[in-house]
Amino acid sequence: MNGVRAIFIKEIITYFRSPIAYFVIAVFLLGTGYFFIYNIFLTGIGTMDETFRNMAILLLTLIPVMTMRLFSGEYSGRTMELLMTLPLQPWQIVIGKYLGAVTMLCLMTLATGINLIPLYLYGNPETSTILSGYIGFLLLGMACIAIGQFFSALTQNQIVAALITVPVLLGFWFIGHLQAFQASPALRGLFGYLSFSLHFGDFIRGLVRTEALTFYVVVSAIALTLNTSYLQWRR
Amino acid sequence: MNSASPAIALESVSKRYGSRTIIHDISFSVGKGEIVGFLGPNGAGKTTTMRMIAGFTTATSGRVTVAGYDMATQNEQAARIIGYVPEQPPLYDVLDVLTYLRFVAEAKGVPRHGIPADLDRVIAACRLEAVVRQEIYKLSKGYRQRVGLAQALLGKPEVLLLDEPTAGLDPGQIQETREVIRSFGQEHAVLLSTHILPEVTLICQRVAIINDGHLLAIDSPDGLQRASEQTNSVSLEVTGAADALRQELLLVAGVNAVTIKSTPGRNELLRVECQVEAQVGIEARIARVVAGRWDLHRLERRQPTLENVFLRYVGQGNQQKTDEGTR
Repeated sequence: MNGVRAIFIKEIITYFRSPIAYFVIAVFLLGTGYFFIYNIFLTGIGTMDETFRNMAILLLTLIPVMTMRLFSGEYSGRTMELLMTLPLQPWQIVIGKYLGAVTMLCLMTLATGINLIPLYLYGNPETSTILSGYIGFLLLGMACIAIGQFFSALTQNQIVAALITVPVLLGFWFIGHLQAFQASPALRGLFGYLSFSLHFGDFIRGLVRTEALTFYVVVSAIALTLNTSYLQWRR
Repeated sequence: MNSASPAIALESVSKRYGSRTIIHDISFSVGKGEIVGFLGPNGAGKTTTMRMIAGFTTATSGRVTVAGYDMATQNEQAARIIGYVPEQPPLYDVLDVLTYLRFVAEAKGVPRHGIPADLDRVIAACRLEAVVRQEIYKLSKGYRQRVGLAQALLGKPEVLLLDEPTAGLDPGQIQETREVIRSFGQEHAVLLSTHILPEVTLICQRVAIINDGHLLAIDSPDGLQRASEQTNSVSLEVTGAADALRQELLLVAGVNAVTIKSTPGRNELLRVECQVEAQVGIEARIARVVAGRWDLHRLERRQPTLENVFLRYVGQGNQQKTDEGTR
């Protein structure tokens, strides 16, 4: 566990010493602030429903910026040679980096809590729905990070890593739309099951369903396993 | 760890990338308390071999062991006792020196309470006191190289692998780095790759010469020089008749072969190469025989430097390759 901890601490320090993390957090908070004001004050509906949807799409475009350097940066900085020759197993490197990125996601998400203050001051929101929305948001982000981290391990060019991750994440988000064109129920089911947005919809309506929760966890686990196996194979 | 096994051992190790073979069937070992130089031209396979010993890549066939641990299956245990400095020091530019070294110490599994002392030790050994709080991207090349070395010394490794440790340093820094390596090598095993010949004679007990992925020779620097002295040569410039000269020279004890070339445009002047045995005074005997009958203009005993030895081995390697190619 010491290996995971060492990587995790290194990752967190690296985030706070590079401009990209501040950029991502700033854009994310500006964006969520705008969506919150627009959705709640202009429509006058006191729920976070629409705000969560907008936040999720913003997240899909920002996660690749956050994850692109995770392995690509190690390759191009020649530090992968250090990581792979330290007494660390590939899974420890993968998990340490993943936990670092997830921590950043949690901090970003926590900071959006500021938006809730006026909501509670002037409205009467349903706390359980908001909580389940946040749980869904974190799970969605965790799955996206795992995918972005995997693609980052495939190339030493950070831009390429981001350019692959963005369409893949957007694809998973919008794949549910394909349901409308399918006659076969099996395909409809498949597209629905793969859709990030349909599962996320459950959470923002206040439903923490095991199926949706498992879906995000399984997607993360698959991406992290692929990531680990790739590092092992590369040796 | 098994104390009987050598610190580093390679047994018929080969490495292929696709259909291209980078390393051909290399075997050698490095013992405890020994500094071995790995000598070869650029692209000879030094870095690939280092990477296999360090566990960054695995051998396609053969076995690499470090202190008895098989790098293919027990690389995590082995990694605890290996300090490795790749050719380009693996540094995180945004971290400061202390944070970077602390990260490596933790990742190496140095016990938490022992980390501060270990950091002080390597910082002093590599003279990094002045820059410990600086971000690594601000450091000069010499300091970057030394941070790379400090990182490898953390956790008191038993085996040190250094890929071109003095490349890009100024003479003073080279001196200091060699001191660090020498003092470390007294009790531990060091394998260092280089293409700088004097470095090898200065600090290494043995030299492995590698070219095109083939291990051509491994011996002490003196041993390599002696081995090539057996086919030593004496060269002469003489004015005279070639046939008579050849006959006389072949009668001199210790002369094995004679080749004579005439100089174009100056028919009388002959350039003579004698393959001789490594005997004291052989050039004097040749001089007596020649000077009695002909005009001797120049006589020179070719003393083989390590450079010649190296070029001879590397030249042979290339010759073998062309032979294989034409077969």
